[in-house]
Amino acid sequence: MTKRLAMVLGLAGLAVVLVATSAQAGHKTHKVTNVTFAGWSSGPDEDALDQQMANAFNRTHKGIHVEWQVINGNYPEAMTARFAAHNAPDVFYVDSSVIGSWIKQGVIAPLNGLIKQTHFNTKAFYPKLLGAFKKGNKIYGFPKDWSPLATEINNSLFARAGLHKAPKTWAQLRSDAKTLQQHGVAHPICLSADWARMGAFMYQNGGSITSHLTSKANAKAVGFYVGLIKSGLAYTPPSGSWCGQELGQSHAAIIFEGNWLLPYMPSTYPGTHFSVAPMVHNKKQGNLAFTVSWSIAKSNPHKAAAWKVLSWLVGKQGEKIWMSKGLALSPRKDVASKGGRKPFLAAAPYARGWGFGNPNFANAYTVMGNDLNAVISGGKSIPAMLADVGKALKGQ
Amino acid sequence: MATTTATEAGPSRLRASMLGARFREAGWGYAFAFVPIAVFGLFFIYPLGYAVYISFLHWGILGKTAPGSGTFNYAKVIHDPVFHTALKNIGEYTVAVVPLEMAAGLGLALLINQKIRGRNFFRSAFYFPSIASSVAIAVIVLYLFSQGGLFNHASGFTTDWYGNARTVGWGIVGMNTWTTSGTVMLFYLAALQAIPDDVYEAAALDNTGAWRTFWKITFPLLRPAHFFCLVVFGIGALKLFDQPFIVAAGASGAPNYATMYPIIYIYNAAFGVSDFGIAAAAGVLYFILIFALTVVERLTVGRQQAA
Amino acid sequence: MTAQTPAAQAKPYIPGRARSEVVRKVLLYAIMLAVAAVFLVPFLYTIATAFKSIPDSVNVGLPHPWTTDAWHKVWTQYDFPTYIKNSFFLAAVVVSCNLFLSALGGYAFARLRFPGRELLFLLVLGTLMVPDQLRLIPIFVMIVHWGLFGSFWSYILINLVSAVNLFFMRQYFLTIPRDFEEAAKLDGAGYFKTFWRVMLPLALPATAALAILQFQGVWNDFFWPLILFGQGNPDHYTIQLGLAELRFTYTTLWPEIAAGSLIAIIPVLVIFLAFQRFFVSGVVSAGVKG
Repeated sequence: MTKRLAMVLGLAGLAVVLVATSAQAGHKTHKVTNVTFAGWSSGPDEDALDQQMANAFNRTHKGIHVEWQVINGNYPEAMTARFAAHNAPDVFYVDSSVIGSWIKQGVIAPLNGLIKQTHFNTKAFYPKLLGAFKKGNKIYGFPKDWSPLATEINNSLFARAGLHKAPKTWAQLRSDAKTLQQHGVAHPICLSADWARMGAFMYQNGGSITSHLTSKANAKAVGFYVGLIKSGLAYTPPSGSWCGQELGQSHAAIIFEGNWLLPYMPSTYPGTHFSVAPMVHNKKQGNLAFTVSWSIAKSNPHKAAAWKVLSWLVGKQGEKIWMSKGLALSPRKDVASKGGRKPFLAAAPYARGWGFGNPNFANAYTVMGNDLNAVISGGKSIPAMLADVGKALKGQ
Repeated sequence: MATTTATEAGPSRLRASMLGARFREAGWGYAFAFVPIAVFGLFFIYPLGYAVYISFLHWGILGKTAPGSGTFNYAKVIHDPVFHTALKNIGEYTVAVVPLEMAAGLGLALLINQKIRGRNFFRSAFYFPSIASSVAIAVIVLYLFSQGGLFNHASGFTTDWYGNARTVGWGIVGMNTWTTSGTVMLFYLAALQAIPDDVYEAAALDNTGAWRTFWKITFPLLRPAHFFCLVVFGIGALKLFDQPFIVAAGASGAPNYATMYPIIYIYNAAFGVSDFGIAAAAGVLYFILIFALTVVERLTVGRQQAA
Repeated sequence: MTAQTPAAQAKPYIPGRARSEVVRKVLLYAIMLAVAAVFLVPFLYTIATAFKSIPDSVNVGLPHPWTTDAWHKVWTQYDFPTYIKNSFFLAAVVVSCNLFLSALGGYAFARLRFPGRELLFLLVLGTLMVPDQLRLIPIFVMIVHWGLFGSFWSYILINLVSAVNLFFMRQYFLTIPRDFEEAAKLDGAGYFKTFWRVMLPLALPATAALAILQFQGVWNDFFWPLILFGQGNPDHYTIQLGLAELRFTYTTLWPEIAAGSLIAIIPVLVIFLAFQRFFVSGVVSAGVKG
């Protein structure tokens, strides 16, 4: 009898523990509203900065307590699962390449009502950037920062080859690479097998990703990009690495990356000296704007509190803190980016929002990546890839 | 007088109490089996039907996205070249990995089966990779076989084994052969130890050489084990997910769809493209394939066990 | 590759064979050591890597200098204590519930008679044919509908009992002579008491083997935790999810990844070394029965 009693008590105790543990995820029910804001983190710098934002907000707002949550790994997939479960964080990052799809799926809340209620000033934002998160006249998020691509060179490798400035045109790119090759750099240019880099080249040749994908201009641009790799002037970074690392390790002399390179280099490869120059151009100037918004989920139960947080994060105060580390450029006309970003800011007129508002972009991007790999390894023709991607962008 | 009434009333009361006992036993039987049956019904049988249901609908992140039902998801999947690639990849993978695993496992079992000292140590060493998780193994192997890693350093190769489309498939075959060979070894060990010594004595008396003894006597005697391993590990191979997911850091199938396998396809359809209808349809189609193969198992192994 | 028996040793001595035997033995040991080395070197190398500093991790070879930096980071910055706690919690709950219910069900199917028993047992066996990939989508949708997504309960629920374990326990109970139950009945024990006090303790070898295998299964599980509560839910990560996270986010923090993978392996390794016998017997019999 006592043994059975003990067993029953034990099970009951276990049940209590289980319930308590699972209830840990619940919200406090005082007068304080808990708001979670979440995103991915490109590294400890970004993580710390987000935390700094959280602390700053909590200090100045007594009725709301914010908590920063990092969601790494495959962010879109993780968020998809959380949307499906109606359990997304309150405020979260949305990359411009996936906002189209999420708007279509109906998981993002339009903010127009809240903007009107609180008289939030939307004019402070660069129209092109804000536009990346609009559909029609509905605003689904506010850009928190952005970055285009630029040309970055390894100073010592360039000096060794007798070159002094970064290449400005495709022709110069090619000739500089040849010169570097003659001076001991096996494959001077690092090019990612990524449309998120090659796309800029397509626009530079007068092509476009949103229309006439199979145009000659696009084909020629892809041919140029892939040709550099096939001729040995360029190489793709090995798995686990990226062009920034290749530059840092002095394997590559010329790379095309965004503003995120600037905090990365001094902290990871302090011994490598590099310079930043505006992105190369060909017939035209062309660039891509990588931008991320703060958005709110449609299923969010306390949108007013979430909006308070969001509007602060992208408001003047929040953006000032965000810009302090220089991880990216300011989306607001009235907040300055960190110094030394001129080559990036110069691209503002020509930078097209990556994602282009296309709801099929996530799937199309997978097709882009796999097909480009096939083209580089010789298994697919350029027109075939362009046709494939065109179909994927249309959702076929 | 009392005895006749007792004997008359006896059988019916006995029958009644027997029925009562049977009733109670059945009651307890149902009580004991209730939760397991409920769990199986809820999480195996019901999902089967639910998957078929979803596969005929437009289903997005938040449920039904558009009205109308039909076979459109199946049409999309069947005509999707990426699905074809996934099937091709899993076919190549299974045909490569299963014989390799079996050969490796058998080889290890033959080694362990010798009269040697430290048998426990060797058995543990050979089985060790099997107990580590798929994630741990994948990250360890990725480091060893990275372009500047230990393997390339020691062997002189410069290939980015898990980074290019030509070699990553083989890389996954190698990884899984290594980790599964230990488990296969255990099965073959049990089977080898079931072979009576007289067989070997007879062979030795006939002066049969070691190789002939193995090939003509041992190997055929292991036929039940061969079939068992072929089927169990063959079906296991078809369920490949963890390793390509870790290698490609997601379900994109990168590079160039070389890591695209059916379950990766299903996962990508659900969480990458957010089309659960397609994911369900692909799941049903793949299940039919596995079911067919399982039937083949029941027929062959069943026949073997009867024999 | 013939097995030697005592009878064989009694055979007449044939000159020259002794030397070939020695050569054979040496060759055998050499091969086995070589294979063992190939199997173990990756793990030894991982241990070494876990003690490297980050700049040193691009170098092949032993750490230079040795540092416990990676372990420290993994423990404090990358939240591994939480992941370990989560993994242990899940393993403990699933192993206890699963084994108890599988034993209960297995006993019912082995010893208790109830109408429809054979049919229901076929149902149980039938579930072995439903592969995970088919269940993935519907179970995800079901779990979401019940509001269990992101909670450990979802994983515990679908793992409450498993067909393999139930089958295994049933087979084992069938081999126990009926005398024990009859003795218990004579003592006036009811069905549950008989099960709990008599049959379950008798089945200890089986439950022990299954417990170890189930622990390994839950500890190493990546797929279902990812789907049911992992995605986007960092404080619920199990150790496998945490390790995958580390790899996805910081692709080249090799010392930390190495330390993490060792933490992921060590508990199962310890249990394996301590209970080798059960492991081996469990794997073999579970496979043979399945």
